[in-house]
Amino acid sequence: MTDTPTVVVIGGGSTGTGIARDLAMRGADVTLVERGNLTHGTTGRMHGLLHSGGRYAVSDQASAKECIEENRVLRDIASHCVEMTGGLFVQRPEDPDDYFEEKLRGCRECGIPAEELTAEEARAVEPFLAKDVKRAIRVPDGAIDPFRLCVANAASAERHGARIETHAEVVDVLRDGGEVVGVEVEHASGPGKRTSPANAASGQRTHQASGTTEEIRADYVVNASGAWAGQIGDMAGVSVEVRPSKGVMVIMNTRQVDTVINRCRPKGDADIIVPHETTAILGTTDEEVEDPDDYPEEQWEVDLMIDTLSELVPILKGARTIRSFWGVRPLYEPPGTGTTDPTDITRDFFLLDHEERDDLPGMTSIVGGKFTTYRMMAEKISDHVCEKLGVEAACRTAEVPLPGSEDAGVLDDYMESFGLRSPVARRSAQRLGSRSREVLGGWSGANPVVCDCEAVTRAEIHDAIEGSGTDLNAVRIRTRASMGNCQGAFCCHRMAQELHPDHDERTVRSALDELYQERWKGERHALWGEQLSQAMLKYALHATTMNRDGDPAARDEAVDFGAFDAGPAAEAGSADASGDRAATDGGDRAD
Amino acid sequence: MSDAEQPRSEDDFEPVQVFPEAEEMDLRPGADNCYKCTTCDSVCPVAEVDDEFPGPKFQGPEQWRLKRKGDEDIDPSVMSCSNCMRCDNACPSSVPLSQMHNAARGEYVEAQMDTLSREYVRNRVLANYRTMAELGSKVPRLTNFVMGLGVTKLFNEKVLGITSKRDFPEFAEQTFREWWEERGGAAASKKRAREARAERGDDTTSDEKRVAYFHGCYSNYNTPEVGKALVRVFESFGYEVVVPRQRCSGTPMFANGMLKDAERAAGVNAERFSGLIEEGYDVVASCTSCSMSLRQEYPELFSMDGVEDLSNHTYEAMEYLRIHEDLEGALEEASVSDRSYAYHAPCHARNQGLDRQAVELFRDLDGVTIEDVGPSCSGISGTYGWKAEKYDTSMAIGEEMFEHMEHAAGEVGMTECPTCSMQMEHGTGYEIRHPLQVLEEALT
Amino acid sequence: MPIREDVLVVGGGLAGATAALSAAETGASVRLVSYKKSTLRFASGFVDALGYAPDGEGPIADPFEAIAELPADHPYSVVGEDAVREGFELFDGVVGDAYRGGHTDANALLLTHGGTVKPTARYPESAAPGLASDPRDALLVGFESLTDFDAPLAARHLSAAGVPFSVEGVTVSFPRRFRADAKVTRFAKALDRDERADGAGTRRALAETVAPHLGAAERVGFPALLGDERADEVRADLEAALGAEVFEIPTGPPSLLGLKLEDALYSALDEAGVRISTGNPVVDYEADGERVRAVYVDRKGQRVPYHAEQFVLATGGLVGKGIDSGRGGVEEPIFGCRVPHSEDRYDWFEDDAFGDHAFARFGVVPDAELRPTDEGGGPHFSNLRAAGGVVGGADFAAEKSGGGVSLATGLVAGRNAGEEAT
Repeated sequence: MTDTPTVVVIGGGSTGTGIARDLAMRGADVTLVERGNLTHGTTGRMHGLLHSGGRYAVSDQASAKECIEENRVLRDIASHCVEMTGGLFVQRPEDPDDYFEEKLRGCRECGIPAEELTAEEARAVEPFLAKDVKRAIRVPDGAIDPFRLCVANAASAERHGARIETHAEVVDVLRDGGEVVGVEVEHASGPGKRTSPANAASGQRTHQASGTTEEIRADYVVNASGAWAGQIGDMAGVSVEVRPSKGVMVIMNTRQVDTVINRCRPKGDADIIVPHETTAILGTTDEEVEDPDDYPEEQWEVDLMIDTLSELVPILKGARTIRSFWGVRPLYEPPGTGTTDPTDITRDFFLLDHEERDDLPGMTSIVGGKFTTYRMMAEKISDHVCEKLGVEAACRTAEVPLPGSEDAGVLDDYMESFGLRSPVARRSAQRLGSRSREVLGGWSGANPVVCDCEAVTRAEIHDAIEGSGTDLNAVRIRTRASMGNCQGAFCCHRMAQELHPDHDERTVRSALDELYQERWKGERHALWGEQLSQAMLKYALHATTMNRDGDPAARDEAVDFGAFDAGPAAEAGSADASGDRAATDGGDRAD
Repeated sequence: MSDAEQPRSEDDFEPVQVFPEAEEMDLRPGADNCYKCTTCDSVCPVAEVDDEFPGPKFQGPEQWRLKRKGDEDIDPSVMSCSNCMRCDNACPSSVPLSQMHNAARGEYVEAQMDTLSREYVRNRVLANYRTMAELGSKVPRLTNFVMGLGVTKLFNEKVLGITSKRDFPEFAEQTFREWWEERGGAAASKKRAREARAERGDDTTSDEKRVAYFHGCYSNYNTPEVGKALVRVFESFGYEVVVPRQRCSGTPMFANGMLKDAERAAGVNAERFSGLIEEGYDVVASCTSCSMSLRQEYPELFSMDGVEDLSNHTYEAMEYLRIHEDLEGALEEASVSDRSYAYHAPCHARNQGLDRQAVELFRDLDGVTIEDVGPSCSGISGTYGWKAEKYDTSMAIGEEMFEHMEHAAGEVGMTECPTCSMQMEHGTGYEIRHPLQVLEEALT
Repeated sequence: MPIREDVLVVGGGLAGATAALSAAETGASVRLVSYKKSTLRFASGFVDALGYAPDGEGPIADPFEAIAELPADHPYSVVGEDAVREGFELFDGVVGDAYRGGHTDANALLLTHGGTVKPTARYPESAAPGLASDPRDALLVGFESLTDFDAPLAARHLSAAGVPFSVEGVTVSFPRRFRADAKVTRFAKALDRDERADGAGTRRALAETVAPHLGAAERVGFPALLGDERADEVRADLEAALGAEVFEIPTGPPSLLGLKLEDALYSALDEAGVRISTGNPVVDYEADGERVRAVYVDRKGQRVPYHAEQFVLATGGLVGKGIDSGRGGVEEPIFGCRVPHSEDRYDWFEDDAFGDHAFARFGVVPDAELRPTDEGGGPHFSNLRAAGGVVGGADFAAEKSGGGVSLATGLVAGRNAGEEAT
C-alpha cells in the first residue's frame, strides 16, 4: 500500500460525487468513473425535491429524521443549488382526515417544523390551488438542482486532487488473488468525451484518448452505480439484488406553483409538484423494471400526472408541458424480504461490504437511499472505506460549503449586474452563486444571451465548456441552456458554435447533433398543443432554414454543384461558348 | 388561429393576485403560448432605433417566465416601451404581450421607482393630461398663450423633462361637452335621430339605435370638431346619441405604469357606461386608443364590475357603422370637395383590426384620393414623444412615416389618433383630419 | 348590413396572399382576413419548390422532374406540375426584380446560417451573389454579439460540404456599438439611416472593418441585416467601398428577408384591389347545408359575420395555428375539417429527431378541387377550399417544398374560387 491510499468510485451521481468529495477531502487519491456525463443515471432524472422529511413522517420516521437533518445541512453547504420554496401537504375533500392528522403528528415527532393551514391560507400561499381544497400542512420542503449539486461536488473533489473521468464505462472489475484491485474502463469516443484542451494544457487533469480502454488500479473500489450496481456486481462475480423501479416526471413550461405541493393522502402515483428553476415538475409513478437501461416510457404515465395533479392545481390541465423523463430508483432490499409492490420497498440505503458478505475484499457497494441524504450516505461509506484503508481524517462535508456556495450573501448581491438586464443577472447569479463575479465579471468582449429561455450568457457557456469540454449535454446541465420552452430550437446551434474555434468543425457538428437528439428524446413526450407547434417550428428552423437534415457535409455522396443554378449570368454565359465569365467559371469548377 | 382567443373557462389562465398586499398579477402562465418566433421583436418600433430596449419578447414572456415569487427586479428598460401594442397585433401565438408589459411597468413604478424623482412626477403629470386639460380649457386663450411662451417651454424641459421641441396642443375655445350641452344634449339628439329615421323610412320609435359616445379627453378639450362629426354622422343614420360623464380612458396612465390612476378612471367609466349598456346602448369611440383601452386593457388589467360588459359593447365609431349600416352604399352616392389624403393607421387601430378601414371606405369616395403611408409607427405613442429624453427616439421612429407622407400625393394627413396626428403635423406641417370629419362632409 | 365579397380568404401568409391574388385575377371581389403576422416573418425568405425526395434523396437539381415521382396524396400530385409552374409565375410577377431564380427550372444552392447549403427555387436578389454554384471565392462576416451566425465556423462547414470555391470567415464587432442583445432590426436601421459610427457613417465604417479581411474574396456574405427600407443603397455602398459583391445569408428569426417578402405580397394585394382585414381571428362559421355562408370574426369580443360566395382556408399548419392539437387529438379549428391522425399520440413522431415524423404531414385532405374532405371522401363544403400549410401530405421541412406548395395550392384554390363566384 502506498502512502496515499487510492480509491476508485464508480458512478457520477449524487452518491458517487459525494463520496469522491468526502474521500478526497480526507486525503485519499480518488478517481471517479462515470459512463456518461455527471448525473447521467438516476440523479439527473429526479424531480429535485429537497425533502423536509414530511413525505416519510408517517411511513418511515427514521428516514424522515435523516431528511430534515440533511435538509438543514444542504441549505448551508449547497445554498446555490437549493431554493427554499417551502412545501405544502394539501388535503382534498375526498382525502382521509385521519391520514392528515397522522401526518401532522408524524412531522412533529420527527422534528420537522409543521404548521396547519386553512384552505384560504393555503390558497393565499398558492393561488392556483383548487378552490375546493380542504386544508394543508406547511413544511420546509425545498427544491434542489441535482445537476449543479453533483457538478459542485465533483469540482470540490477535483480541487482536492481527485480525477473525475466521465464517459468512461466500467467494462470489468479487476481482481487479483481473490481481491478487487481496480477497474477497467472504456473511454467513449465522440463529442461527449471531455477533451477540453484548456484542461489538458494546464496539466491539471489527464484524460485518456477516446475509444481506448484503461486499467485503473486502486486500493479500494466503491460501487456507487445505483440502479446499475447489479451489473457492476456481476463483473466482480458477486450478486447485488437491486430492484430498479421507474418513475415518470413531467416538466411544465412555467411555475404554476412556487411551493412544493404534495397530495396529503397515503402513498400513490402523481402526488407531487416541485417548482424547479423556471419550471414545475410533476411526479411520479413507481413501477419495477427489469433493465434500468431499457424500459417502456408510456403515454398513460404522462397523462396520469396531468390528470391527477390537476385535481390539486386545475390550471395544469391546459398548461404547457415541455418534456417528460423517467428515472430509475435503485431500490434494494436484503435477499428474502420478498416485497411485491415496489412502493413498499424501503427507501433506506444499504452498505454491502463484499468482503463480509461475499468474501471478496477490496470493494463495497452502496444501494438504495434517497437523494436528499446523499451526503450522509457518502459520509457513512467514506467512514467505512477510511476504516479499511487506515485513514483517520474525519468527515468535513457537512461544514465546508461547496464551490459556488462559499459566500451565501452573494445572491442578494446580484445587483452588480455585469452589464446584463436585471432578470438575466438574477438568474445567472442564482445559478452561479459565489462564482458569479469570477464567471461574469471576468469575461471580456460581448456577452450576449445564448439561451433566451433560461437567460444563459456566452460567459456562462464558456465557463461550462471549460469544465466539461465538448459535451454539450454537460454544458446544458451546468447552465440550463436549452432546457427552456423552445427545447433548444433557438439555442442548440448557438451553444455548439461557442465550441469553435477551440474545437474543429466536425466536433462542433457532432456535439450539436448529440445535444439536439437528446433534447428531442424528452420533448417527444410533450408533443401536443403549444409544444407540438414549438417542435414543428424547431423542425422548420433546423431542417428548412438551416438544412441540417440534408446537409451535404454529413452525406457520403458529393453534390454536383454544376447541376444547380449558378445565376442568370452564368446561364447566359454557358449558352454562349465564348462568354468570358462562363469559361472562367467552368474552369474553376473543374478543379 | 389560436385557441387563446376563445373565451376561457374559470380554471384557465386568468390574472390572479399572487401577492395580495403587493397587488401583483401572476402572468407567468401567459408565457406558455410563446414559441419564441420573435415576430414581436420584428415589429417593435422602439427596439429598431433604441438598443437600450431589448424588445417585447424579453420584456414580456421571457421576463415573466424567469420570475420567481418575491423577485422584485423588473428591468428598468420596460419604461422605454411606448405601449404601441404592435407586438400584440403581431404575435402569431396570442401571448398577452402588452398585458405583461403593462403589469411589469406597473410593478416597476410601484416597487422600484422613486416617487419623488423628476421622472415620476413628469410621468404622473403627462399621464393625467385630463386634469391639466380641464383646468387649461377653462381659460383656453390664456392657457394657449402661456403654453406657447418660451419661458413655459423652458420650465417644462428643465424642471419637468417635457420636451420644448413640441408645441402644446391648443385648447378649443368651446369644449365638445359645452357644445353638446348648448345644443340640447341627449334630448336634442333623440329628436334629430328620429327625424333622420323618418326621412330614411325607418321605425321612428324603436330603441334599437342608441349609442353612448366615449369622446375621451382630446376630442373634448382640443378637437371638438371630431366629436361633433361623430354626433352628426350617427344621427344621420338615425342613432340617438348620449354623452355620459366620463374620465380619461387610461391609455396614458398604462403607458406610464400608473395603474392605480388608471384603475380609478376605469372604475368611473365602467360604472357610468355599464348602466347604459344594460339599457341596450352600445358604446362608440372616436379615438382608437380609447376604444383599445376599453376593449382590451380594462378586462386584462382590472376586475371591477362592468368592465367585461363595457369591453364587449365598445366599438370604434366607423367600425360600428361599417357593421350595422350600409356605409359603402351611402358613400357610393356621396361626394366631398377634392382633397388628397396621406393616411396613417395608428398602432392601436391596427391592433383592433381597423388599420385598413379608412382607406377601404374612402378609396372610391368621389373627391377623395387616399394613400396609406405604410405600416410604420408614428413614434409619439401618446405621452412617450413628449418626454425630453425620448423625443429623439420618437422622431427617429416617425422618420419613416414622415418620409412616406412626403412621398404620398396627399397634402392633408388623416388618422384616427389624436397624438399620431400631433406627430404627423409636427413632422410634416400638414393639416391632419379625422376620418369622421370626411364622413361628416360626405353624409350630412 | 353585412360585409360581403365574392371570395373570402382566411389566412395572410404566402398561400393566403397567393389565393387572394389569383382569385382577384378572375375579376372576383376578394377579401383577405388574417389574424396575426404570418410565419413569413420567421422564414428565411427563400421560396422552395422541392429540394429532397420523400425518401431523403437529394439535393434535387430539377424539382419539376422529381414532382412526377411524388405519392398521390402529396399536394403537388393533387394540383399537378403545371399548377406548380403557374404558382411560381404568379410569384415572379408579384416580386419582380426583388427575387431571382425564375430564369431556370433548376434549383439553386444557397448558403444557410447553419453553415451548409440548401436547395431552393427562388431567392432574394440580395442573396444571389452567394450562390454556392458560383465558383468565386467568398468571405463570410459575422458579428460578435449575433449568436445565430458564426462566420468562421460556417466557412469551415461549407468547405466540408464541398463547395466549389474557397471560403473564409471572420467575426467582427459592428462599428455602431450596441448592447449585446440588440436585435437585427436595430442593425438594419443603423445601416438604413447610416448613423454615425467611429467618426463615419455606419456603412463606411462597416466596410472599413471588413476590408482588411477580404483577401482574394470576390464576394462577401453578411447575415441578413443589411438594411430594410434602403437595403439596395446599403448594399451598393458596401460593394463600392469593398470592391466586392455583397450578399445576405438568412438567419433565424426575426427574418428581415421574410418580412420584406410579406411587404411585397401585401403591396400586390393592395394593387389588386383585395380588401384586407387583419388583427382579429376567424372563430366560427355559418353554413347552409353544404355551403358556407359566412365566417365569424371575433373583434375583441364582438362577433362580426363576413359573408362570401366562396371561401379559401389558408390558415397554415401547426406553426401558423391552422392545425391545432391537444392530448386527445388533432383538429382544424375553424371548420372542424378532418385531419387524419393516429389515436395514439406516440405514433405522431419518430424517435430520431430528423425522422419521418407523422406530425409534419398533419393537415386536411383535399379532393381534386382542393376542397377538404370528410371521412367519406366527399367535400365538407362545396365552396370551401384549402391552400398552403393547412393541407396535409407534405413534410415541407424535410422536402424543402413549403413555398411551392403554398404557391401552387394557393393559385388553384384562389382561381377556382374566383371562377365559381363570378
